[in-house]
Amino acid sequence: MINADTIPKLLYSNYLTYPDQVALREKRYGIWNQYTWKDYYENVKYFSLGLLQLGLRAEDKVSIIGENKPEWFYAELATQALQAIAIGIYTDAGPNEIMFLINHSDSRFVVAHDQEQVDKILQIRDKIPGLEKVIYWDPNGLWSYNESILMSFGDVLNMGKEYAKAHPTVFEERLLEGKGDDLAVISYTSGTTGLPKGAMISHRQLITLAYLGRDLDDWTEKDEYVSFVPPAWITEQCIGITGCILSRMKASFAESTDTVQENIREIGANVLFYGPRNWESVARTVQAKIGDAHKFKRLIYYLFLPVGYRLADFHLTNKTPNPFWLFLYKIADLALLRMLRDKLGFLKVRTAYTAGSAISPDILRFFHAIGVDLKNMYGASEIGTVSTHTQDDIRSETAGVPLKGIEIRISEESEILVKSNTLFVGYYKDEKSTRDKLREGWYHTGDFGHIDDECGLIVMDRMDDLRKLAGGQRFSPQYAEIRLRFSPYIKEVLIVGGEEREYVTAIVNIDLVNVGRWAERKRIAYTTLSDLSQKDDVVKLTAGEIRTVNRALPEWARIRKFTNLNKDFDPDEAEMTRSRKLRRSFVETRYGDLIEAIYSGKAELAMESEAILKDGRKTTVTTSIKINSV
Amino acid sequence: MGVENNKLKIESVYLAFGGIQALYDVSFQIEAIEILAIIGPNGAGKTCLLNCISGFYTPQRGEIYFKDQRITGMAPYKIATARIARTFQNIQLYSGMTTVDNLMAARHIHIKPSVLSSSIYFGPAHRREIQHRKAVEDIIDFLELESIRNKVVGMLPYGQRKKVDLGRALALEPELLLLDEPMAGMNYEEKEDMARYILDIFDLKKIPVVLVEHDMGVIMDISDRIVVLDFGKKIAEGPPAEIKLNQDVIKAYLGTPES
Repeated sequence: MINADTIPKLLYSNYLTYPDQVALREKRYGIWNQYTWKDYYENVKYFSLGLLQLGLRAEDKVSIIGENKPEWFYAELATQALQAIAIGIYTDAGPNEIMFLINHSDSRFVVAHDQEQVDKILQIRDKIPGLEKVIYWDPNGLWSYNESILMSFGDVLNMGKEYAKAHPTVFEERLLEGKGDDLAVISYTSGTTGLPKGAMISHRQLITLAYLGRDLDDWTEKDEYVSFVPPAWITEQCIGITGCILSRMKASFAESTDTVQENIREIGANVLFYGPRNWESVARTVQAKIGDAHKFKRLIYYLFLPVGYRLADFHLTNKTPNPFWLFLYKIADLALLRMLRDKLGFLKVRTAYTAGSAISPDILRFFHAIGVDLKNMYGASEIGTVSTHTQDDIRSETAGVPLKGIEIRISEESEILVKSNTLFVGYYKDEKSTRDKLREGWYHTGDFGHIDDECGLIVMDRMDDLRKLAGGQRFSPQYAEIRLRFSPYIKEVLIVGGEEREYVTAIVNIDLVNVGRWAERKRIAYTTLSDLSQKDDVVKLTAGEIRTVNRALPEWARIRKFTNLNKDFDPDEAEMTRSRKLRRSFVETRYGDLIEAIYSGKAELAMESEAILKDGRKTTVTTSIKINSV
Repeated sequence: MGVENNKLKIESVYLAFGGIQALYDVSFQIEAIEILAIIGPNGAGKTCLLNCISGFYTPQRGEIYFKDQRITGMAPYKIATARIARTFQNIQLYSGMTTVDNLMAARHIHIKPSVLSSSIYFGPAHRREIQHRKAVEDIIDFLELESIRNKVVGMLPYGQRKKVDLGRALALEPELLLLDEPMAGMNYEEKEDMARYILDIFDLKKIPVVLVEHDMGVIMDISDRIVVLDFGKKIAEGPPAEIKLNQDVIKAYLGTPES
């Protein structure tokens, strides 16, 4: 038996023990194809030997950019088998972001998905002197590209195969040389403030985290997991890559990003991982579609959903429901909830997680009501999972209880500090940040929170994002924002306030699809988002939603005024991060005039906004935006 | 396949509806594998010309040859068998059927069923179905239609239906592709996608493409050669750069200052 202290060694051990068990599934050409541990291992082996031939050495870096596909996993494992380090890049990153990441990480190779990604890299190729090869796995559209830097995934595999004929033992030798403390990946943090920082993460950290996850949830080889959370994110590294190899849980890959929901349903996933935005959008779609459904269906929905809510409230407050409600729930389940879960593809889901940023308790409650056991998970790239809900403690306001082996301390400023054996090594080429965040063995999360009486961790907001009003009262913008986003009509919202402000205000992005449907039902004619958002009825609609949320807020933190913005906050304009967190200070500066106008009591503002299109061109748009009171 | 074989030759075609002369002495040919655009103001006869090539109209005078075979006045289904495929300005699909069924139906010219083998599920009929489904899945992959594979076409948004229409034309495995306003009614992003698909088809299949389109930006970007029609007459022919400066073309589109 080998000492499986690196991820490739774990894969090797699966290959030796269970060569014919299914490891991965991928839907291609409308059919689910299966790959065994032997296929998985061999692809990794030959790709790795191909990279070796191309000159990849230990501690070199390889960047990977693409949708979740087996090739992504092969490329990462192949890199790690040579003791080199993988860097994941989000697929929607723009050329400049990609350039920064490749340059900063000193990547010599990039493994890219398709023409879209290759085009972005070719565009900035001159500014990446260290880049030697771009290896792509989907040749569609690339047939006539003849840049010498390009190479296909298949060609690298073939190089590896040739090499293996002459050197049959090299791969295993190299693989077994790896050590648990070697770096496995550099995970670039999304950077709500400033440039991204690369957290260096070792094999030991990932494997420890995967063990924690497996023990918590009993992942086994019988379980089905659908991989679609970006592997550039540490969560997918822990579950999809390391966790699946460790527990032999099967990872399936959706056919395309548009078919994820459908594919989850086909696979019957048992373990599911969505970011809060995905959960929000599912909940919002359900609400909107019910609005359009037949009267009878609507009746069933509004009759039985409250039963689900009632039961969810028992669970979410750690109480045992009485037999009467359990009986009613059975009926509700048969009449509605089961079918709803089936439609959404959640029928076989045993555990569902949300992580990445805060989720609204209303969303959590909604999913519990329809019978999906949604759990909150709190963590960071730098430290992995810190806490999660457990089977007998799913209180919606907490981020769960700390995992085994994780120590949590709350500093005097109420910052959450964490210590564990899953701590990252440091930031790549950034001593100063490492020293700032890692003091005396404690990782400073930068999150504001506390631990309640029952050991539940409560995360309020980012430290930097907490605000004071002129009156000295502290408030958390995010707290109100996530609650507002539960409304099907509000897609995004920025809460404004500060020491020079008397009260709190909001800039709202309405949800074009849902508000559009609502407007059609009300027979309100509109043309674009910009037009729809300024309609009086829509303003009234938004005001109503804000009033509902205001009731849950302390008097001084209530939203007094708001505007419906004429556009969406957009990652392409740097208003949000790629993982869709608002870049607060940037947005506040950008809309400085609008914010001034809100507080100065104007009723309207003509706004000239410059929009940057995806291809880099700029246009200017002038619109008049109404400022409204709640 | 030699270039000679791919030749489309239009020889002095005349088409009239009663007193209206839709096409008047139009001649041009495709000798190389190229993207040829046909442009012209409204009512210039662009679609009429495509209809003549694909057999929906029979010109009163003149001849059309494809691969040295005379196809003037041939029935549309025969022209399809000669591997000329087209898309339609106002999308012609079986709107009650799914995307995949529409594409499968378009494979009919490649399916040679016999009553005997088709009445038995196993064996040849089964194999044939799989073979054609593979070809269809290739197209689905190529045009990224996965998410609408099993959706009924009539329920799809316009841009998606345009893509299915293009997929249907590709399912014929054409040797000449005629596209009638593939970008009409699309937004900027959809147009960019469509232009990319057209270039990719051209790249991969190495077949000539004849394109009728109104969007000048797109035409100037992707076509190798342009034929300009005005009131049924060909007024210019040449590469985009030349056409842009052609006085007759400018006049046709903008009118003359005196009039």
